[in-house]
Amino acid sequence: MALSARLLTLRNSPVLLKLPPYLSALCIVIGIAWFFILPLNEYSRQTYVSENAILPGQVHTYFGGSEHNVFRAYRQEVYQLSQFSETDRLAALEKVLREIGLKVAAQPYHFTVAGEEVKGTNVYGVLQGPRADATEAMVLMAAWRNFEGEINYSGLALALTLARYFKRWSIWSKDIILLIPADSTYGPEAWVSAYHSTSPDITATRNVSSLPIKAGALQATVALDYPVGPWGHRFDKLDILYDGINGALPNLDLLNTAVAIASGQMGIGCTIHGMLSHSDSYRDRLTTLAKGVVTQSAGQATGPHSAFVPYHVDAITLKTVGDGWHDEMSLGRTTESLFRSINNLLEHLHQSFFFYILLNANRFASIGNYLPAAMLLAGSFTVTALALWVQSGQVAVGPATKMEGTEKNGAQPELEVVKIGDAVALVPAATTKPAEREMLLPAAVVLAVHLASFLPLYSLNSLHRQHLPTALQTTIATSLLLPALASTALTRRSQISTQQIQIMQSFSLLLLGTSLATLATLNFSLAFVVGVLASPLSFVRPLPRGTTTGFPAVLGRVGREYRYALQVAMNLIATLLYAVASPPVVLYALCWYFSQDVGGLLLEMAKGWSVQGVYTSFVIWAVWWPAWVVGGIALCRGGGER
Amino acid sequence: MKLAQLLALPATLISAVLAIPEYSEHLHLRPLPNGYLYAGFNFTASTSLSAYESQHFRYFPRSLGQILKHSGTRELHLRFALGRWDDESWGSRPRDGKREGGTGVEIWAWLDSGGGKPAVEERWSSLVNSLSGLFCASLNFIDGTKTTRPVLSFEPEGMHRGGGGGMELLHGTLPHEVVCTENLTPFLKLLPCKGKAGISSLLDGHKVFDANWQTMSIDVRPVCHVGEECRLEIQQTVDIVLDIERSMRPRNDPIPRPRPVEELECDESKSYHASDTCYPRRKEGEMAWSLSKIFGTPVRGSCHVADGDESHDISLEVSRDRAVEVLQGGSNETLVSHGQSQHVRAIRLSDTAKHTDISLPQQIIQEAPHQEQPPLYASRQITGFGQERGGMHTVLHNPHTYPQRIVYLESLPWFLRPYMHTLKVLSHPTTSHNQPATPVKPDKMFYTPALDRERGTHLELLLTIPAQSTVELTYDFDKAILRYTEYPPDANRGFDVAPAIIRVLPPNSNSTAGNEKTQDSYLRTTSLLLPLPTPDFSMPYNVIILTSTVIALGFGSIFNLLVRRFVLAEEVPRSAVAVRVAWVVGKVRGVVGGLKGRMRVGGEGGGGGGTVVGFGGAADVRGGMNGGSGGAEGRKER
Repeated sequence: MALSARLLTLRNSPVLLKLPPYLSALCIVIGIAWFFILPLNEYSRQTYVSENAILPGQVHTYFGGSEHNVFRAYRQEVYQLSQFSETDRLAALEKVLREIGLKVAAQPYHFTVAGEEVKGTNVYGVLQGPRADATEAMVLMAAWRNFEGEINYSGLALALTLARYFKRWSIWSKDIILLIPADSTYGPEAWVSAYHSTSPDITATRNVSSLPIKAGALQATVALDYPVGPWGHRFDKLDILYDGINGALPNLDLLNTAVAIASGQMGIGCTIHGMLSHSDSYRDRLTTLAKGVVTQSAGQATGPHSAFVPYHVDAITLKTVGDGWHDEMSLGRTTESLFRSINNLLEHLHQSFFFYILLNANRFASIGNYLPAAMLLAGSFTVTALALWVQSGQVAVGPATKMEGTEKNGAQPELEVVKIGDAVALVPAATTKPAEREMLLPAAVVLAVHLASFLPLYSLNSLHRQHLPTALQTTIATSLLLPALASTALTRRSQISTQQIQIMQSFSLLLLGTSLATLATLNFSLAFVVGVLASPLSFVRPLPRGTTTGFPAVLGRVGREYRYALQVAMNLIATLLYAVASPPVVLYALCWYFSQDVGGLLLEMAKGWSVQGVYTSFVIWAVWWPAWVVGGIALCRGGGER
Repeated sequence: MKLAQLLALPATLISAVLAIPEYSEHLHLRPLPNGYLYAGFNFTASTSLSAYESQHFRYFPRSLGQILKHSGTRELHLRFALGRWDDESWGSRPRDGKREGGTGVEIWAWLDSGGGKPAVEERWSSLVNSLSGLFCASLNFIDGTKTTRPVLSFEPEGMHRGGGGGMELLHGTLPHEVVCTENLTPFLKLLPCKGKAGISSLLDGHKVFDANWQTMSIDVRPVCHVGEECRLEIQQTVDIVLDIERSMRPRNDPIPRPRPVEELECDESKSYHASDTCYPRRKEGEMAWSLSKIFGTPVRGSCHVADGDESHDISLEVSRDRAVEVLQGGSNETLVSHGQSQHVRAIRLSDTAKHTDISLPQQIIQEAPHQEQPPLYASRQITGFGQERGGMHTVLHNPHTYPQRIVYLESLPWFLRPYMHTLKVLSHPTTSHNQPATPVKPDKMFYTPALDRERGTHLELLLTIPAQSTVELTYDFDKAILRYTEYPPDANRGFDVAPAIIRVLPPNSNSTAGNEKTQDSYLRTTSLLLPLPTPDFSMPYNVIILTSTVIALGFGSIFNLLVRRFVLAEEVPRSAVAVRVAWVVGKVRGVVGGLKGRMRVGGEGGGGGGTVVGFGGAADVRGGMNGGSGGAEGRKER
C-alpha cells in the first residue's frame, strides 16, 4: 500500500510531467546509436553450426571426373533449349528430366498484377530417394531465368548433372525435387504456394494450378544461380542470398552450413549482399549490416529462394560472383556436400537462430543484441503517448494567471489553506485540475484516418502500372493537404479542444508504438526503419500561433521585437520538416537515392503485395501514414486558445 | 501372364501331389523396367491343428506357435515394409498387395473374443508385446491409441471353425518404425534352414535393405482341405525390388563414383558431341545380372526338408528370347522355358550341388515386357502450412474402363483431429478436362472419432470409383497441442501418420466385364509426416517465458496505479452516451406504455415505469465505469 501511495503522489511530480519528451528523445538517440555498436566484437558473435546432425563438410564429395563431360553437354543442351520456343523448351526439359529417371510434372501459373500479365510454367522432377519413405523432401532449384533476368545456363546444367549424379546414390533419406521455375520470383512462389495450399483457389489475379506430384514435407531448398553461357566462366566467390519474403530468414544453420562447406571444404570464399571485398573492418561490417537492414525492410524477394521462407522451408540461393579460378565443379561439389548435410537432418532445422543480422558471412548479431534498437524506437512513441494522455487529463487552473506565473522566475508558488477536521495545513495551490476526457471525437478521427489509409494502399497496389506514378503524386498532394484541411474542418466545425488534440495524438502514437513493437519481432529492419523515419512524430505539438507559448525566452528582449517574424519562420521550418518526413516524399527520396525509377519501384511493391503477400506497403500506408496525418492535424491546429 | 497366377503356381503344383508337404519354399524373379529386379521369396510351413494343440512343432516355428497359443490368436498378419512400390513404371503389385504392409510395421490379427472387450485387449497387448520381443521391433508401442477395429477392410483368409464367429479383428500400425537387419534376423530364424541353405541363403541384410522397396510378411492362418485334418499354415514372404546396377556394385567399393570417361556412353548424334562433352545416352536392352552378383552370394545348397516337396524352388519370369544360364555345382546349362507358360522358367535346386547361380547376359529384346496395369493409383498428402490446421488430400485414380468398388481405411493418431463435415469426395473424369467435378457419395461409412490420449480416429469408406476417373478425397483437420512430456526426443521432425489402406473389391459376380479379377487386392499410400506445434525445448525459451511473466505482472500493476483515477462512486458523472441511451429507452418505454395504456382502457403509469428502468440502465453503466477500483477505499484523488 505504501508503494502505491508513493506512486500516487509521484505522478503529480512536476519533474515526472516534464520528463517524457526528453525520455522519448533519449530513447530515439539510444535506439539509433545501438544500431551503430552492433558491428563491434562485443555485440556480435562468430557463427557456429548448432545442429549436430548436419556435420558440414564431413563427407567426401565425388562429383567430378566424367561428370564434367556430362555437365558440358547439358550446358550445350540448355543453350540449345534457349533457342527454342517456350512450349518446345518445356517439352525438351521434361524429356531430359525423364531420361535422368525422375518423376516429371509441369505446373502452369498465371498472375495479373497492376495490369501486367505474369505467366510461365514450372517444370519439376522428383527423385524418389531409393530407401526414403516419401515423408520428407529437399529442393534443388535452378530457375530458367535468374533474378536479374539472365538465362541461368550453367546453373540449370549443373542442377541437371547433379540430379543425374544423385540418382545413383542410395543414401538419400529424403526425396530430392529438382525444380526449374520459369523465372526467379513468381515461378517459385506459384510452386511453393501450390505445394502447401489446401484448395486451389482461382481468382481474377491468380491462377496457379495444383501440383500433380508431391513428395512429403519440404526440409530445405538450395537454389543455384550461375548465369554463364556455354563457354563457361570461372567465378571468384559465392554470394549467399538468404532474405525471404517480409524479412523472414532461413535458419542460420543452413547458411552456416553453406559457408562452412564452401569456404572450409572447397576453399570458395563466401560473401553476403554482394560485398565482394570485405575486410571485416567496422566500416565493412556496418555497410553489410545496413544493406541487410535495407533488403530486409523492403521485404521483397531477393532471389528464387525467397518464396520458400514464409512457408517455414529454409532456403538459400548460391550465386556466383566475380572473376576467379573456381569452376562449375567446385560449385557442384559444394552443392553435393550441402545436400549430404541436409540429408543428415533428423528433424526440421530448428536448433539455430531464425532472427539474426549478418555482419559478415561468419559474423552475426542475434535478436537479443539488436532487438532493443527497434524496441527503444517503438518505446519512444509509447512514452510520448502516455505523457499526452496524462496531460490531457489535467487542465490548467486559471490559464491567464498561470501564463504570467511561468514568466516570473523564482516566484513562490501560491499557497492555499486546507482544513480537514481540526487539522489545518498550508499546501501549494494546485496549478492544474483533473478534467474529464472527451474521447469520442479523437477516437473517431484516428479511426477515420486509419480507414482513409486504405485509399493509397489500394490505389498504389491495384491500379494499372501506367497510373502508379500519378497515383503516388496524387497521394503526395492529398497527404500534404489533408492534415491542414482536416485540422481546419475540425476546429471550425467540431470546435476540437487542445485536450482532444492531445488525446488524438496519444491514441495515434500509442497505436504506432505498439504496432512497431510487434512488428520488430517479425521484421526488425522494417520496424527500425519506419521507427527512425516516424520518430519526429513524437515531438509534434500544435504550432504556436500569435501567442507567446513555446516562444524561446532565451531570445529575450531582442527577440520580442521580431517575435512575429521569428515565429512565422520557425513555423515554416517545422511545417517543412514535417512535410519532408511524410511517407510518400520519403518514398520519392529513396528512389532518388538508390537511383531507381519510381514507377518501377511502385510496380515491384504492387507485385510483391498482390502475389507474394509482402506487407511493407501495408506498414507504410496503414501504420506510418495515419500516424503522420494525425501528427499533421495536431500541428496545423495551432496552439492559440479559443 | 498374371503375377498372381504365377505365384499361385507352386500351390497348384503342390495340390497335384497327394500329401501336402509340411514345408516348401519358392523364389520368384522378374526383371522390371528401368533396370530393376523383383525378387519374391515365399516360405510356407504348416502343422496339423492337433499337433499345434499338443505343442508338437516340426517346421512350424515353436516360438511363434507358443505366442499365438498363449494370446488366443486365430489368424495373424504381420508386415514390415520399407520404401515405395513405383506402380507407374513397375505395374501392379506382387501378390495383389496382399502380402504387403504400409511403411514401418503393421499388424492385424483375429483374436478369440471370449471374455469381452477387456479380455480381448489383454490378449492383443500380450500378442504385440511378445511379438515385439520376438522380432526386435517396437510393436509394444501399439497401444489403444494406435489400434483400430476395421470393419470392411480385412476378411479372414483362413478357414475358421464356426465360420469365423467368436473372434475379433484388431489392427495396429507403427509408421515410424525403421525396418532393418535386426528384424530380418529373427525372421530368418523362424525358417527350418535358418537362412543357411536354400533360397533363404540369399537374404542378406545389406542387400535386402538396400532395395528400393521391400516388405516382409508373416501370415498364420488355419487351412482346411477336403478330407483332411485342418492345418495351421505359416507363410513368410520377403518381396524386394532391387536396383540392378546398384546391387551389382562390388561390396568392397559400393560408392557410385563417376565412371571413367572411356566408359561413358554418349549420344554421338548431338551436334556438340566432343571428347570432353558427352550427353549421356540411355542404356538399351536388358541389363546383365546374376544371382551371385545381385545378392552377393549364389544359392547355397537346398532346403528340401519336408517329405513330398517336389516343387520348383526358383522361377524366373523373363522374355522367351532371353538367354538364361544356370550354374549348378560346376555344370553349366541353359535354362529353357517349359510347361504351360512361355515366360516362366523354373529350376529345382539340386540337393547335391553346393552352389547354384543364375546369370543373364546383356541382351536387346525387341518384345516389350508385358506389364499389368495396377487396379488403382493412389497418393495421399498433407496440405496446408502453419501450426494450427491442415488438410488431407488423397487422389485415387482408376485407369480402367470399369468402375471399381473400394474400401478406404484411415487410422489417424488422436492429435490429428479431422473435421468430418469437411470431408469431400469429388470425381473428375480423366478423359475430358472440361467436365466439372461430381461428388461421389460413399456407399458406407464407418467412423470412430478419436478420444484424446485414448484412441485414434478410424475412418472407413466404401466408395465406387467411376471408370477412367480420378477421385479426390479431402478433409480438413486441426492439430492438437501435446503436453510437453508427450513429445518424442526428435520433436521437430514431426509425427508420422500411418498410410491409408485401400482394398479394391472384386466386382460383383453378375458383372459382365470380362478381364476382371475375382480376387480383391490391396494397396497402400505412403506414410505422412505431420508437423505439430512444438515448443522450443531450449533453455533461453524458458528464461524468456519466465522473465516475460514477471515483467507483465509488475508492469501491469504499476501501469494500473499510474493511469487509473480514483473517485467516489457518487462522483462519477453520468456518461453522455448513457444519458442519451437512457433518455431514448425511457422515451420508447413511454411510447410503448402509452400505446399499451391506450389499448387497455384506463391504463396508466406506463411512462413512469419506463423512466425507472431508464435510470436503472444508467446506474448499470456507472457501475461498469467504476470497474475494479470500485471505490473500495472511497478515496478521492485530490
